[in-house]
Amino acid sequence: MAAGANRPDHHGIIERIVDHPAQTRSLFIRLPREHALSFIPGQFISLVLPLGGQRALRPYSIASDPEQGDLLEIVLNLVPGGLGSSYLFACRTGQELTFTGPYGLFTLENAPVTETVFVARETAIAPIRPMIRRALAAGTCAPLHLLYAAAREETILYREELTELARGDSRLRFDPVITDDFAWPGMRGPLIDRLRELYLRADERRDRQFYICGVGPEVLAMRDLLRQNGYARKAVQYEKW
Amino acid sequence: MARVRVIYETGEAEKTIEFSPSQAPFQHDGEPGSLLDVLLGHGVHLDHACGGNCACTTCHVIVKAGGNCLSEAEEREEDMLDRAPGLTPTSRLGCQAVIEDENADIVVLIPRFTINQQVAESR
Repeated sequence: MAAGANRPDHHGIIERIVDHPAQTRSLFIRLPREHALSFIPGQFISLVLPLGGQRALRPYSIASDPEQGDLLEIVLNLVPGGLGSSYLFACRTGQELTFTGPYGLFTLENAPVTETVFVARETAIAPIRPMIRRALAAGTCAPLHLLYAAAREETILYREELTELARGDSRLRFDPVITDDFAWPGMRGPLIDRLRELYLRADERRDRQFYICGVGPEVLAMRDLLRQNGYARKAVQYEKW
Repeated sequence: MARVRVIYETGEAEKTIEFSPSQAPFQHDGEPGSLLDVLLGHGVHLDHACGGNCACTTCHVIVKAGGNCLSEAEEREEDMLDRAPGLTPTSRLGCQAVIEDENADIVVLIPRFTINQQVAESR
């Protein structure tokens, strides 16, 4: 039985591999045009990998735009001892990957009507990137703010793209939050402190919405901080890996 | 010894497994000792597209009996379940509902659809 039973498998070919700093890489997966994937910004696919003699599932957010559903980008870091990431880092261009999907409810489909704050750390920018691009393309009039944390400036993924996007569009503000470089002139971590000062202490407004993506307890801590200080439950969307 | 009986809205033949919850984890997807962990570890398939990380609703089950033998749902599970189609007061995510009673006797119904399928079919 398929690992994602009752769901059709998709098959794609790794067309391109792009290495980023800090043992992180993007895989571009080409699908036949007639089988292009229809998805909503923020969704993920579930790769079906042959690990340990079994079909194991590894979910990866789609970092690319739905408008190009026949070329999907996923971005991952090499996890020490991680079977899934080790397998994918050993893959070469031309290799076939099988997956099911799309899945996920952490999505942004239409232009936001209220100020929207995106919060991500490292590779968790993946689902946020197409959300921001969709929000802008859909003609939102609401201000967008991206708080994106990385250890160092060079480990900010899509740094040039995001910087250019914000420079050319007054609706988007992009703040890299650097955690491991005390000489960094801009914002520094922890992310939750930046959220507290920008969106709790700075004013009494509680009409913003948040999209938070990351790994580990930090995500839930940020969710709790916002919800416990006046933001509506549904205004704080999050995905924790 | 605990028991889980799985029935299917699709009419697929039901399955029953017996096991000792104290031996968890069984399969390592989802919370240790969760319905997902237990079922997978005993050869009963349950969808879990996100790998049991509480990031989708593909492991949505409806608990028909024995719900008091399961861990309380946390906010994260509730947030996700809010969006499950066919949500019922006894809906749980298989990856989060941990069997806490060594003598649990649980019946779960696997619904026909999940929200992810609906999204795909409506587009």
